[in-house]
Amino acid sequence: MIRLTDLHVTFNRGTAMEKKALRGVTLNIKKGDFVCVIGGNGAGKSTLLNALCGDVPVEKGSVLIDEKDVTTLSSWKRAPYVARVFQDPMAGTCANLTIEENMALAMSRGEKRTFRLAIKKDWREKFRSQLSRLKLGLENRLQDPIGLLSGGQRQAVSLIMAVLKPMKIIALDEHTAALDPKTAAFILDLTREIVEEKHLTALMVTHSMNQALELGNRTLMLHEGRVVFDVSGKDRKGLTVNDLLDLFHKASGLELDDDSLLLS
Amino acid sequence: MNLIQFMGALELGLLYGVVAIGVLLSFRILDFPDLTVDGSFPLGAAVSAILIVSGVDPWLATAAAILAGMAAGFTTAWISVRWNILHLLASILTMTALYSINLRIMGRPNIALLGEKTIFTPLENLSFPHLYIMPTAMFVVSGIAVLFIYRFLSSEKGLAMRATGANTRMAKAQGISVNIQILSGLAISNGLVALAGALFAQSQGFADVNLGVGTIIFGLAAVIVGEAFFNPKVILSALVACVIGSIFYRLAIAMALNASFLGLQASDLNLVTSILVGFAMVTPKLRAKILDFKAARSKA
Repeated sequence: MIRLTDLHVTFNRGTAMEKKALRGVTLNIKKGDFVCVIGGNGAGKSTLLNALCGDVPVEKGSVLIDEKDVTTLSSWKRAPYVARVFQDPMAGTCANLTIEENMALAMSRGEKRTFRLAIKKDWREKFRSQLSRLKLGLENRLQDPIGLLSGGQRQAVSLIMAVLKPMKIIALDEHTAALDPKTAAFILDLTREIVEEKHLTALMVTHSMNQALELGNRTLMLHEGRVVFDVSGKDRKGLTVNDLLDLFHKASGLELDDDSLLLS
Repeated sequence: MNLIQFMGALELGLLYGVVAIGVLLSFRILDFPDLTVDGSFPLGAAVSAILIVSGVDPWLATAAAILAGMAAGFTTAWISVRWNILHLLASILTMTALYSINLRIMGRPNIALLGEKTIFTPLENLSFPHLYIMPTAMFVVSGIAVLFIYRFLSSEKGLAMRATGANTRMAKAQGISVNIQILSGLAISNGLVALAGALFAQSQGFADVNLGVGTIIFGLAAVIVGEAFFNPKVILSALVACVIGSIFYRLAIAMALNASFLGLQASDLNLVTSILVGFAMVTPKLRAKILDFKAARSKA
């Protein structure tokens, strides 16, 4: 169970650039929930995810993971609980390390690292079997630098890497936004498969209303740092993008005018 | 160039190969341009020299030099990560401070080690042609340094260090403390450089407070020459390449200094090195620009 309570985040406090990114967001994520967060530019969706991951300091409110208060823990200390996939396909892997070295790094996520050899022989089998599900032939390229792979391939490996170790929640930060439509669909299907198969708890930020309805069991919309609506279960079944727009209008009294949200 | 000069260059090349490995760690692996080495090289020489003339066992003196170098590297890293000071600036602070510290350690600007017992003394009694002893000893030293650092970089800790330099965000997401990696990485790097300084003092028979001037540029030159010749893809070849780069570099310098028609003096070494390193850094950018220009013209 993940509890985000009354989160407030402000950037550039006290300057002309001051921006209240989160103004009291409360979100409880039950074990096995797959929450999709949508919102326009500057709605605070990425900030919410970064607050969960420990990348931005929270000025008020708390972050609890399984009743453990992690509000003040820096991001690397939260790694045992939070697995991540970034928007930028280059961000989730190290280009000049080989595929197996990258995967070995993920195999030790959140664990104490020792002077033992980083790549264990029996891990290679595991890496191969995990990579083979991608059907990209990567299982035969373990010793290739990962920088040789395309953005989509790297994002697929990032996703595989994120779930090599158990975690409390996987944080997906618009992880298909930088990909072409075909590759994005592939990564999205893979995401759905993996989350279902491993019964993961997930928080996915997306700019696409379709994605937010298609995936997961709960859809949350942010606007100007606040939760506008939060639908799940029966209420969410059969919802369309138009219904979401209505919901937004009802809740905020505004028309949505963010093209990027409507078009994708 | 005669055989004696060749062997001398080989010996220095292998010795500075250890410096090059240290520079490879900071510059390439951690992506932390670290000028501390200009201070930690003479620091290693100073610590080992003063201890040896005080009658301390040379092995112990060398170990103390390594520890002193590690402390220097740690200080730079601490200034940088704890106080969020630009890496170059942090290393310049330590480097400058080390000049005074080295003078304090030695109590005078230089110490002669002639006739003192050093770690190389036992080698003099070997029935091995004298000319080849020191290059062989330095070969063994740099070989051990390469293997040691290779084994370290292949470990879980070493891989974490490589990830830190390559992609900080990813490293953090995998639970790696970037700060701890920089602190320990710079300590190891400067420990190696101080070791080289200690070996320099003991093989050349003196320590001098000005020994360190240009160490960083020599190290960088070795790394760059190695990369230019071998274009290393894996970590072991990168390590070997920078040692060989260091040897090539020393040989080239020895040849240039010996070619009387060039009219170079030994004191021109730093100028020549800077020009070469500068050239090596500019070339890739120049090449990219020329390619861009050509592409633009073929489109038009």
